[in-house]
Amino acid sequence: MAVKTPTPASARDAPQTALDLRLARDGKRRRSRKPDHNPLRDGLRLERVPDPHVFVLFGATGDLTRRKVLPALYQLWRTNLLPHEYRVVAIGRRDYDDASFRAEARTALETFSRVPLETEPVRTFLDRVDYHQGDFDDDGMFERLATRLDGLDQTHGTRGNRLYYLATQSSAFPLVIGQLGRVGLDHEVHGGGWRRVVIEKPFGRDRDSAIRLNREVGKVFREKQVYRIDHYLGKETVRNLLVFRFGNGIFEPLWNRRYVDHVQITVAESIGVEGRGAFYEETGASRDFLQNHLLQLLALVAMEPPATMDADALRDEKVKVMRAVADMTPAEIDRDVIRGQYGPGWVSGEQVPGYRSEPAVHAASETETYVAAKFAIDDWRWSGVPFYLRMGKRLPKRATEIAIQFRPVPHRLFREAAVDPEPNLLAIRVQPDEGILLRFGSKVPGLGLDIRTVNMDFTYGSAFSVDSPDAYETLILDALLGDASLFTRADEAEAAWGIVTPILEAWAGRPAPPFPDYAAGTWGPPAADQLMETDGRRWRRI
Amino acid sequence: MTMLEPPVGGWIASIDSAPGVPVMRWASRARTIAGIEKELARIWAQPDLATDVSGDGRAARHIAARTSVLNLVVVARRPELGEHSASIISRLTGRHPSRTLILSPVDPDGPAWLDGQIQAHCVLPRADAPEVCAEIIYLTAGGEAGRHLQAIVAPLLVHDLPVTVWWPGEPPFGTPMADEIVGMADRLLVDGSMWSGDGLARLRSMAALFQDPSLAVTDFALTRQSRWREAIASTFDMPDLLPYVNSLRAVEVTYASHDDTGVAGTSNVVKPLYHVAWLASRLGMTVERPLTAGASGWAGQLLEAALRSGRREVGVTLKPVTSSAPSGTTLRVDLLAERRGSELRVSVTAEAETVQVRAWLDGVTMLERDFRAPRRTEEDLLAEALELTGRDPVGTNAIRLAALLAG
Repeated sequence: MAVKTPTPASARDAPQTALDLRLARDGKRRRSRKPDHNPLRDGLRLERVPDPHVFVLFGATGDLTRRKVLPALYQLWRTNLLPHEYRVVAIGRRDYDDASFRAEARTALETFSRVPLETEPVRTFLDRVDYHQGDFDDDGMFERLATRLDGLDQTHGTRGNRLYYLATQSSAFPLVIGQLGRVGLDHEVHGGGWRRVVIEKPFGRDRDSAIRLNREVGKVFREKQVYRIDHYLGKETVRNLLVFRFGNGIFEPLWNRRYVDHVQITVAESIGVEGRGAFYEETGASRDFLQNHLLQLLALVAMEPPATMDADALRDEKVKVMRAVADMTPAEIDRDVIRGQYGPGWVSGEQVPGYRSEPAVHAASETETYVAAKFAIDDWRWSGVPFYLRMGKRLPKRATEIAIQFRPVPHRLFREAAVDPEPNLLAIRVQPDEGILLRFGSKVPGLGLDIRTVNMDFTYGSAFSVDSPDAYETLILDALLGDASLFTRADEAEAAWGIVTPILEAWAGRPAPPFPDYAAGTWGPPAADQLMETDGRRWRRI
Repeated sequence: MTMLEPPVGGWIASIDSAPGVPVMRWASRARTIAGIEKELARIWAQPDLATDVSGDGRAARHIAARTSVLNLVVVARRPELGEHSASIISRLTGRHPSRTLILSPVDPDGPAWLDGQIQAHCVLPRADAPEVCAEIIYLTAGGEAGRHLQAIVAPLLVHDLPVTVWWPGEPPFGTPMADEIVGMADRLLVDGSMWSGDGLARLRSMAALFQDPSLAVTDFALTRQSRWREAIASTFDMPDLLPYVNSLRAVEVTYASHDDTGVAGTSNVVKPLYHVAWLASRLGMTVERPLTAGASGWAGQLLEAALRSGRREVGVTLKPVTSSAPSGTTLRVDLLAERRGSELRVSVTAEAETVQVRAWLDGVTMLERDFRAPRRTEEDLLAEALELTGRDPVGTNAIRLAALLAG
């Protein structure tokens, strides 16, 4: 047998030992090892279309389905990123049939699609949507569903591949998952296709309930079938954070305690609870934002470089850094974690009511609509560098930003300058105006030597297509392709709850501060500013 | 032509611009390079550039920002090509380069002259975001000036940004003029399926450009076939069929031809050849015998070649059939693989807007699948190509191997 040129595809087949060489020369050994990957796939990543499948959507008539899931599926369909053999089975309690649900879905697309609708793609998209009516506690409904899905495999060539998307209230997760298991819809059969389940947040309401939920899910699905969605991780800038950190040589050497003074992560919302008072009374800012979005951002900023971009390598690093967040005693929680609640005020030129006057909110509610916290990460890289996180509703504007504040220069050189140069700052804006800003000192033109801080500003809008995909498009496509990197793993969710649960417990043990403690349209309670001032720092003006 | 030109044109008062819809916001003219440079500076000299986007007369100020992505140089040796390219590019404002130069050399034997039309096209990404603008400069060069395009282009490039050269039609690779222009480029965009004759000679001279290790080439003819590649690759995603990927015996590509005289070389075969070249380059094959005219089919002569994969020889056939499809369009790709006495046949066909793949193992159907493959417009292809940076090894290797197959 002729020795082949060592191309990547054949390198594994090349003779390895003297025996191999002799056998190869004698022609006695035939190539028998099977290739373990498809060489024709190289370079096709972006063009890859998911396998034929049925998208099984629980919570068909819910807000999330209308606002996010259907528009994202339509956009994927329109841009030919979904396979030809593709069906949606939408499951809900309300009394629709296929035709009336399609009409309803069309209305949702008309209202919420981020691109103008085109007649033909909308028609072919809706043609593939079926409605399946029933209650989640109705055993018969799931049995009919199993039959229906098998039928679709036969009639529409979807080959037993199914993605179950749980866009329901979180209280329904264990029930739906249990039912899927009961009728055997979780089983991946050899050659018969994959089964995956996408779970929306919240994953539990504290550490124990998260562990319980994971256990319920684990009874039915294996962890590699489970995709816990945190839509923040699908945002372009958040994904760019990985590229920014590990695709550039100049920042990573500075990304540690020697050069970084502190880190600020801000998620500001100008909206209030938007009619979801009952939901918010149950959750509050800590459960709604701190446990997932804020800690995910913290993990991405602080984690060590993963060895590969594969899903588990990335998530291992995130879990590691979350576990390195220092435990806090109740006294430290009192000092370093601030909660707040908005009162009436003015936002964007409009008068708005206080939280306690919102519909379905208790008149003496102690639910926090603002949370600010100072965390320490006890590892080699970050020891001594505080991470300040804040999130609030009814703040003056909508903005999400990660700011890396570098240390000041070690030696004051420009003594005759009126002011010292400000330390450098790197800000990564997630929304709006996604982009990256680097701040540095520059000489003011003139005869003197004055230093002024200037910004070097990169905005996505001016460098790339204005057409960034919506986070749900990114994440749904990833789940369909079986890429779990941007989804939360069970231990990751538990680690994040491990940070937040002691805070919730400490708060539950004592009365809240006198709420409301900030007016709508201001940057949060004074206590949050004091938290920074005690450390000789201040929150960034955004 | 006077030495001191009065400035002509300027900002065009804003019409109501909806987010996402590009509008021309500046137009002016100059007849020297220095004049054009002055006009370009003038566009950005107004710091307080305001547009009344609110539409109700309120002074809603949206400072315009220039994009800074790359320079796009279009060589349009026929005026209609230039107009066609310009209309595509202006539709891409907002997701496209900071500066586009559209070059049209005319009247090569007349006196030397230069005419530059400078335009800025702007788009609002969102209602509340700053306006984003890109510049388009139409350069018509007469006489001797048209033979030294590089001298016109070089001073007008935005410095430090990559240069992409889009050469629709027939680039005269190997001539001093083409060498000069391509020498400035980081990426060259062509469409090999538009070349005259069988396109193979031009393909060979294009592959020679890869001697410059920094030049990347995007051939729309190759990009257009992505759904075919997806369809072929999907066959070998099946674990049972994957082992056959290294046991190919024959590849046959059937393409449309309008010529029934039977003479090889009259239909452009770049696209059919790319299918073979992509497969061969991904599978580490080498060229055993380049394409030669083979037996005569009923719609023209077959082209045959041989590849080598390990010990085996892989037969290659390009087969023309008379069809209403545009000449040179791929109609069908057939693969034959043999392994341990079993035979895998894969057939990929296109119909309207779908690509269908079927696979049989010893006569038993293993796979039947459709891929949606709407025809991609030049606008899509250009937008996609402009977002690429660096050499794409898959495409580069395919083009190289295609040139080797061409002989």
